[in-house]
Amino acid sequence: MSNQRQASSASQVPHLSPAELSYLYTSLSLPKNPIRPDGRSPTQFRPLSAETNILPGTNGSARIGFADGTQAIVGVKASVEKTILAADTLDSRSLAQHGDALNREGEEGSAAVSGQGEWVQMSIEIPGYRDDDALPVFLGEMMRESLVGSVAGGSEEVKEMAGGLKGRLVINKRWHWRLYIDVLLLSQPLAYPLPLLSLTTHLALLSTKLPKLKSTGEEDPFFDDDWAVAEYLYPRSNKQSSPSDAPTYPVRPPVTLLVIAVGENVIFDPNREEIAVADAVLAISITRSSDSENMKLLSIRSIDPPSRLTQPGIPNSENVNMLGGPPASSNQSGGQEEVGGVWRPRRGGVQRSVITRMIKTVLQKGGVGEEVIQGLEGVKVE
Amino acid sequence: MADRRRINGPPAGTRPPVYASLKESKTGVSERTLRQRQPTELRKFYLKTGMIPTASGSSYLEFAPSAALAAARSNPKSLIPPSSALKVACTVHGPKPLPRSVPFSPNLLLTTHVKFAPFAARKRKGHVRDTTERDLGVHLETALRGAIIAERWPKSGLDITLTIVEAEDDRWWGDAPDSHDASWGMLNVLAGCITAASAAIADAHIDCLDLVSGGVAALVSDDASTAPRLVLDVDPAEHRSIQSACVVAYMPARDEITELWLKGDSSRAALEKSDGRTGHEALIDGAVDAARGANTILTDAVRESIARSFAQV
Repeated sequence: MSNQRQASSASQVPHLSPAELSYLYTSLSLPKNPIRPDGRSPTQFRPLSAETNILPGTNGSARIGFADGTQAIVGVKASVEKTILAADTLDSRSLAQHGDALNREGEEGSAAVSGQGEWVQMSIEIPGYRDDDALPVFLGEMMRESLVGSVAGGSEEVKEMAGGLKGRLVINKRWHWRLYIDVLLLSQPLAYPLPLLSLTTHLALLSTKLPKLKSTGEEDPFFDDDWAVAEYLYPRSNKQSSPSDAPTYPVRPPVTLLVIAVGENVIFDPNREEIAVADAVLAISITRSSDSENMKLLSIRSIDPPSRLTQPGIPNSENVNMLGGPPASSNQSGGQEEVGGVWRPRRGGVQRSVITRMIKTVLQKGGVGEEVIQGLEGVKVE
Repeated sequence: MADRRRINGPPAGTRPPVYASLKESKTGVSERTLRQRQPTELRKFYLKTGMIPTASGSSYLEFAPSAALAAARSNPKSLIPPSSALKVACTVHGPKPLPRSVPFSPNLLLTTHVKFAPFAARKRKGHVRDTTERDLGVHLETALRGAIIAERWPKSGLDITLTIVEAEDDRWWGDAPDSHDASWGMLNVLAGCITAASAAIADAHIDCLDLVSGGVAALVSDDASTAPRLVLDVDPAEHRSIQSACVVAYMPARDEITELWLKGDSSRAALEKSDGRTGHEALIDGAVDAARGANTILTDAVRESIARSFAQV
């Protein structure tokens, strides 16, 4: 019950003493070179192992495990569904021609239809949480929002992805694919599971195949039985120099990164202890924009830093045990001034300049976003 | 198993038919209402505290209907109302002791419930909270927790309940659902919820660092040829497409943001040449400006609430 009450905060209330929190905060906020508990550099990610296409019953799947034992599996399933076109959703042009529209159906290309965000469904299962708890719902909405929101630029090369993932799901005017993305966290959520789930979803979507369409135009969809000719959901470019090279993707699904600010420092992929002392936590979704090599921002959400829920430390001047008598000021919440080495829960929000710096670290050329995408490009997806 | 003994109405409600002739007038101009405000001009809203006597704090917020909506109500031309105006009621219960089953907490525990009335949106909402409502609740909690001085109430809880009586539209209702596909109206709803909840918390006399208010800014493009431009306090029904939008919860006295939610592609914003900001920075700054505007009304409402409580003493 208590877990569920707190579920929406970045994870549960951290079980660290005020002294530990203060030590962590001091070492993470050292100007210029923060010292992380596991010795990583501020922009370094945890080592991970990844594999794709592990579930034969799905259209695409992936597993990622971090070295600390947290693992996630994502399965992507697709089904064909009839597009519901109520009278009020037809545009007036087609309504005006309604009389002869029926027999002239299919003259206009299906490109006129753009997809709907509802066609992508996401469910997240985290052990210890009900599926309607705040944390899974929040994580699911966060990842879905950037997935359906990423619309490729006007590059000619990838015609299928013109409308982003939504556009890819359109078969013709009357039929579309519905995508079910099921995310399963296999271990207890040791840290805030967002980076793990986002990376796993990314790989699963890259490995997703849809059966090849045999019918054309506005016919009822009819697919090729041969799974070997199935097409990738995210198309690959076939200009490979050698077969050993990893295929390149003109469009990639977005990645959501977890970024925290501690003091002046910006730290990526925080573990549980680091996120417990963060001043600000942001989830930033990025993708490589298709028309240029730059990173493109898709969404930002602030996450409640768990440091607001921690217990404050008591300075020696107010401590009964140190004085041997009642403390001088009985008003314990009155002592608001910062005492060095004594933990105070964070209060208030975050300055705009800090947010700007966090985003810039992700987006800039040669920044962390580029590094992550390059790292993911190194993963070979069968 | 469907209920076959009674004749039930359709579960999702019905809408009146829309004829092509209604959507495009004789002159060829669609009936879509366009924004008449300046890009930096905010909508007026009404905010009053202490409307619900049984709660320890309460507030009611209502946006003024747009000129087009007012005109359509007095002189209806179409069966589709052109837009809707946000109406939110907020109640605060507490601080109250936590139940025995909850372990010790040195801080005030916040619970936020956002619930749409079944009739709030164009599509009927069920009685069980759905994902968007829970999602809004988490956003709201993040926004408020940063402002409340939680350690002054150890072992206690605070319940904040928001009822959306009328929600913002995600798009102009004459448009096809895919043309404008994202829940842009939710951002406005969240901004309204933040402002209303802040007033209700102040009405319940709970210590805060500052009054936190919500503001929305968006990059909109009304025709495909021009680059999207920045507008504050966007009404999604007034624009052909919204590229990107951002909502912040902002505390003016500390110049701090407690909640930030930005979505959409902000890279192609049309900013002035001298403006060195990128699209997302301009969006965040715009949303902060909108929040500052909302804060003036919020301050007046809270001042009223305090005057009333002094009068009662």
